[in-house]
Amino acid sequence: MLKALTNIGRYLVMLRAVFSKPEKFSIYYRQTIREMEDHGLGSIGIVAIVSFFVGAAITIQTDFNIENPLLPRYIIGVTVRDSLLLEFSSTMVGLVIAGKSGSSIASQIGMMRVTEQIDALEVMGINAAAYLMQPKLIALVIFLPILCALSVALGLLGGYLVCLVGDVVPVSDYIYGIQYVFYPYYLAYAMLKSAVYAFIITTVAGYFGYHVSGGALEVGRSSTQAFVLNCILILMANLVLTNIILH
Amino acid sequence: MITLKNIYKKFDDQYVLNDLNMTLEKGKCNVVIGQSGSGKTVLMKSIVGLLEIDSGEILYDERNFTTMGKKERQLLRKEMGMLFQGGALFDSLTVEENVMFPLNMFTSDNYSSKLKRVDFCLERVGLRGVNQLMTAELSGGMRKRAAIARAIALSPRYLFCDEPNSGLDPRTAIRIDNLISEITREYNITTLVNSHDMNSVLEIGDKVIYIYQGCQCWEGTKEEVLHTDNEALNSFVFATRMAQQIKDV
Repeated sequence: MLKALTNIGRYLVMLRAVFSKPEKFSIYYRQTIREMEDHGLGSIGIVAIVSFFVGAAITIQTDFNIENPLLPRYIIGVTVRDSLLLEFSSTMVGLVIAGKSGSSIASQIGMMRVTEQIDALEVMGINAAAYLMQPKLIALVIFLPILCALSVALGLLGGYLVCLVGDVVPVSDYIYGIQYVFYPYYLAYAMLKSAVYAFIITTVAGYFGYHVSGGALEVGRSSTQAFVLNCILILMANLVLTNIILH
Repeated sequence: MITLKNIYKKFDDQYVLNDLNMTLEKGKCNVVIGQSGSGKTVLMKSIVGLLEIDSGEILYDERNFTTMGKKERQLLRKEMGMLFQGGALFDSLTVEENVMFPLNMFTSDNYSSKLKRVDFCLERVGLRGVNQLMTAELSGGMRKRAAIARAIALSPRYLFCDEPNSGLDPRTAIRIDNLISEITREYNITTLVNSHDMNSVLEIGDKVIYIYQGCQCWEGTKEEVLHTDNEALNSFVFATRMAQQIKDV
């Protein structure tokens, strides 16, 4: 219990340092663009593959579960769209990025810690926590909602191709369904959740990397711990946000 | 000049620095020697503020570092250069980007003047034409020299070197030692070198400080090290059979 409280305290102290004024905006700006490239553009491939197949699978499963002849067939399109928008895309992309970028952030900062690179930054008079985490945080908070929107689009495309090739639902019904009573608010909700997940992923992974001590073994361990905690916090945040926003 | 007054630092209940007093003189290589675990690295990290001391005063030319706020410390740190044991170069950057890093952060010079300064620093440490190499492509000695180039990029007033020649062959080690010594004199800076390598001490130690169990046990010049009556220092300096034989001769 005491250890948990200590960790929360250290996390909050670190957050305070992360949100300090940058030493030089132009350097931070350039670094943010680089992080967007690494963690944003670099994640499009994995997000696209996962979203496409999940969208296709949801379409087949929904069709399998809706057997009532009284229900219109376009309801499958509606269900796939809303499932992707409300739950799958944001949370699934959050978990994928927690694995890909979160682990990378924890191990990158952790290696910098054990090889004294963070000490070198501090001795130069640079706020190491802000320099290392602020650009990553801004990049992911901006890019994760974009990846979420992309995931929705590719999930729907996956469903469309299943309809086209697999003869699950008539394509016209599917197209009609995914356009039927569309609330743009759902997209905003999904993107807001993604932004919160991005904050959790970056700061938790950064915390584990920043406070690692020892060698390569400890860096690996901290990366794993960061991923596990990120998954738990993302799922908890999903529940809390859903309850607050949709209830 | 850096003055340390009554420095105490403990981890759990174990005092690593115990009422330590010393003065590091300007324009000289102040070499701190001592056995592994004697507190040399803790001392250096405390002086630069990477570790907080429990009590005592650290004065940088009469400016009290211990009572300074975060902002003041950051300003003072721009006057410091530090060479870490492993070099601590940023491995995602090239050599040029590493040396240019402090210039990018703290100056508003244009790229060509920063590049000029980088080339000058690299030239000064004998590393010409390696600008575009990644740090992983450098040998141990080259990494140390690149780290020295980064440390002197902003013309520091204080230079800290933690075991600068650990893991290097004797010839490269002497080259690094001489470089540190030359830079100290050239720029008239206060240099602190941590070492347990006696070759290094005898090469560059303008002022030698021996710490034992967290206290300053002896202070003198490199010439005096070999002729001291201090038992603890003697057993450290003449620890090897070869050194003992030389002493007997």
